[in-house]
Amino acid sequence: MKKLLSLLLVVAVLASCAVTVAFADSDAYLGVMLTTNVMSLDTNLATDGESFEVIANCIDGLTQMDADGAAVPAIAESYDVSEDGTVYTFHLRDAKWANGADVTAYDFEFAWKRIAQEAGEYAYLLDSSVGCVKNADAIIYEGADPDTLGVEAVDAKTFVVTLEVPVSFFPSLMYFPTFYPINEEFYNSLEAGTYGTSPETFLSNGAFVLENYTPGTASLSLKRNETYWDADNVKLAGIKYQVIQNSGEALDAFNKGELNMVTVSGNQVAAAENDPKLAENLSVTGAGYMWYLSFSQTENNAQGGMLANKNLRLAISNVIDRYNLVDNYVMDGSLATFTAVPPQFAASSTTGEDFSADQDLFLDVCDYNPEAAAEYYALAKEELGQDEFTFTMIYGSNEGNEIALVAQAIKEDIEAELDGMTINLQPMTKSERLDKMQNDNYDIALTRWGPDYADPMTYLGMWITDNSNNYGFWSNAEYDQLIADCTTGAYVSDYDARWAAMLEAETIVMQEAVIAPLYTKANANLISSDVEGVQFHPVALNRVYKAASIG
Amino acid sequence: MLKYVLKRVGLAALTLLIIVFLLFWLVRIMPGNPFPSERMNDIQIANKRAELGLDNPILVQFWNYITKLLHGDFGNGTSLYYGVPIKTVLNTAVSNSFRIGGISILLGTAVGLLLGITAALNRGKFLDGFCTVFSIIGVCVPSYVFMIFLQYTFSFKIPFFPYFFDDSRFLFSSVMPALSLSLFTMSTIARFTRNEMVEVFDSDYVRLAESKGLYGSKLVRAHVLRNALIPIVTVLAPLVVDLLTGALVVEKIYGINGIGKLMVDAITGEGIDYNYVLALGILYSTLYITVMLLVDLLYGVLDPRIRVAKKRGEAA
Repeated sequence: MKKLLSLLLVVAVLASCAVTVAFADSDAYLGVMLTTNVMSLDTNLATDGESFEVIANCIDGLTQMDADGAAVPAIAESYDVSEDGTVYTFHLRDAKWANGADVTAYDFEFAWKRIAQEAGEYAYLLDSSVGCVKNADAIIYEGADPDTLGVEAVDAKTFVVTLEVPVSFFPSLMYFPTFYPINEEFYNSLEAGTYGTSPETFLSNGAFVLENYTPGTASLSLKRNETYWDADNVKLAGIKYQVIQNSGEALDAFNKGELNMVTVSGNQVAAAENDPKLAENLSVTGAGYMWYLSFSQTENNAQGGMLANKNLRLAISNVIDRYNLVDNYVMDGSLATFTAVPPQFAASSTTGEDFSADQDLFLDVCDYNPEAAAEYYALAKEELGQDEFTFTMIYGSNEGNEIALVAQAIKEDIEAELDGMTINLQPMTKSERLDKMQNDNYDIALTRWGPDYADPMTYLGMWITDNSNNYGFWSNAEYDQLIADCTTGAYVSDYDARWAAMLEAETIVMQEAVIAPLYTKANANLISSDVEGVQFHPVALNRVYKAASIG
Repeated sequence: MLKYVLKRVGLAALTLLIIVFLLFWLVRIMPGNPFPSERMNDIQIANKRAELGLDNPILVQFWNYITKLLHGDFGNGTSLYYGVPIKTVLNTAVSNSFRIGGISILLGTAVGLLLGITAALNRGKFLDGFCTVFSIIGVCVPSYVFMIFLQYTFSFKIPFFPYFFDDSRFLFSSVMPALSLSLFTMSTIARFTRNEMVEVFDSDYVRLAESKGLYGSKLVRAHVLRNALIPIVTVLAPLVVDLLTGALVVEKIYGINGIGKLMVDAITGEGIDYNYVLALGILYSTLYITVMLLVDLLYGVLDPRIRVAKKRGEAA
């Protein structure tokens, strides 16, 4: 009996370890790490960079990004612009959906009207603050008939878009997934709510087709689309994505060769830098979004609206050591930022110059400068008639491992230099943070914004009166006028004048310290030496794989 | 017996209804926002809320929810996998978690019983000590620590098992998570089996059976193990539910698309997804209640004394 039992014990333990199934490794696929789940493959519902990246791998829009982020033809072989800049006529090339149907202008018309009608997160790209497509506002915000949208499929190969006013960056908007086509017949053949939830319910016309995906999955794969119009230039056999939320695990997966491209943060960046083998695989790319402090200026918060005082905000902004934040806490190559519009994403199309290349422009009002801060602080105390201030700073504890450290460092900076000011830190989920900010129930918030399109207006548009992203409820008539002139008014047809006006607007934001810019996020990537041609962009689509190759 | 079963089922259904209502109400007063949009304006958000009926009084909302639920409709995601019917997402997650959970329950119970019996039969000897130490370690070390250890050893140092969970090689990539999840069950069952059996061995009726000439496996099977099983079944029930409903951390570490991971995503994602939290809450509670009900009924099968006592109770 005892012998039998012992034997069984041994067998059981061995058996549990020895379950083997045939290996089926997919070597030709590029293994890529994602930091969060792919939330939706429906262009109307997707809101996160991961989802947009996967959609863009599978669907081509009218234009696509070249290596420098400029718009180059994709489904549109060419386009004409009317003299007044308000009518775009796109001439479509011969391209096929993966089910064999032709890609037509009707697919674009259907998709765009659907975006306007559903009025989701990114519908605003069509409205008068960005794309200025005719009648978009009435459809999105007032429920007007979507057929009144200023788009028309003249025939299968001609797509005409009518704008309210000229939009200088309109062609570059066209590579954003919101403007991608959807095959109407295919869409209507599906059960409601199931579009984009599996390889069977998703239709590609792009470089890759969906091979393996279910909502919520931690791993998904795409394979080369043989019917793609530009298939000759696609070198990868496919892409295998793996969601990893822990930087240490990412490093291990890279070392093991499980993945070819991973993103590391914090201490793992230092570890990679110090490892001679890994150091050569390390590359830093701009992630685009900027972290900043938002100050509530209403009377509901900050001890009855103390932060409505400009000098108090300037005092805070001038005691934050931004280089200390990026060098010692974020540590992934992120850039200390001293402008309200972060660098690296918006270049002038006439001069080619980055809007925020000059980070020294506002150093007189935004820098690590305790003496200047002390002066502002003294003024603020006098104006407010108060010596002691206690504010709460909220931040999302699920917004990256480094955010809690950054918040702590800011607290220490402020409390060390501004005598009598106390900052209480309050961590919460991102959703709760946004909820508090939207309901005007916070003093100071550590928040972020990523550019949706390559124009400074993606940031500057936030601070006009009544914008839903104007979380500080700051209001300035001069600023509102400048922005209106740039979006729908005097400067829409004069590119350089518009550019100058936007700089003027940014100056107001900085001098008033509406926000305190902190740093522009970068990604520290580890990329295997045999991978080439992956294109990185700080705006719209962060990574593009069409030209990528491996081995 | 039938009356007893019906009564228990009725009570279970009522408990479930109360739980669903509490969940329904609690999730709505939780901090956070079901539409954590940074780009929609107030009008758009108000429209979305209205679409989901979030402006109605809570009892109306609850009535609508229950009506849909009885038709098997959990609703759609509101912020997690927005717009996708929850059923489609839940199916995959439940199937993954249940399969891995199932393997670990079988493994844990089988090995646990063997360990426990071995220890009890060798009371005071080396094997007994070994089993005790093993079960203490198993109870103390959290499953995810063991998971990290396994992942590091058997897929990083010795690259045998896949580093991440791979749907296309389900059984193969389930080995490590199932093993690490079964550790706690294994140790708990081993400890209980050993203690119960030792107790039963010392009881009068076993001595009597021995004096009648019963010995060996027949004695163990017919008298010792059967009597020792009752408390074990009681311990096993909640363990089963825990394992089936997934292990949050292990699923996260190994990238398993299971219900534990889904629950965390639903609460800590971009926004709180009311419908997901509710659907998963209902799933958890239903499982718990069902398993407890089954355990109650199983007692009768295992031990005629309980059956008889129940009959007497019914008669009285």
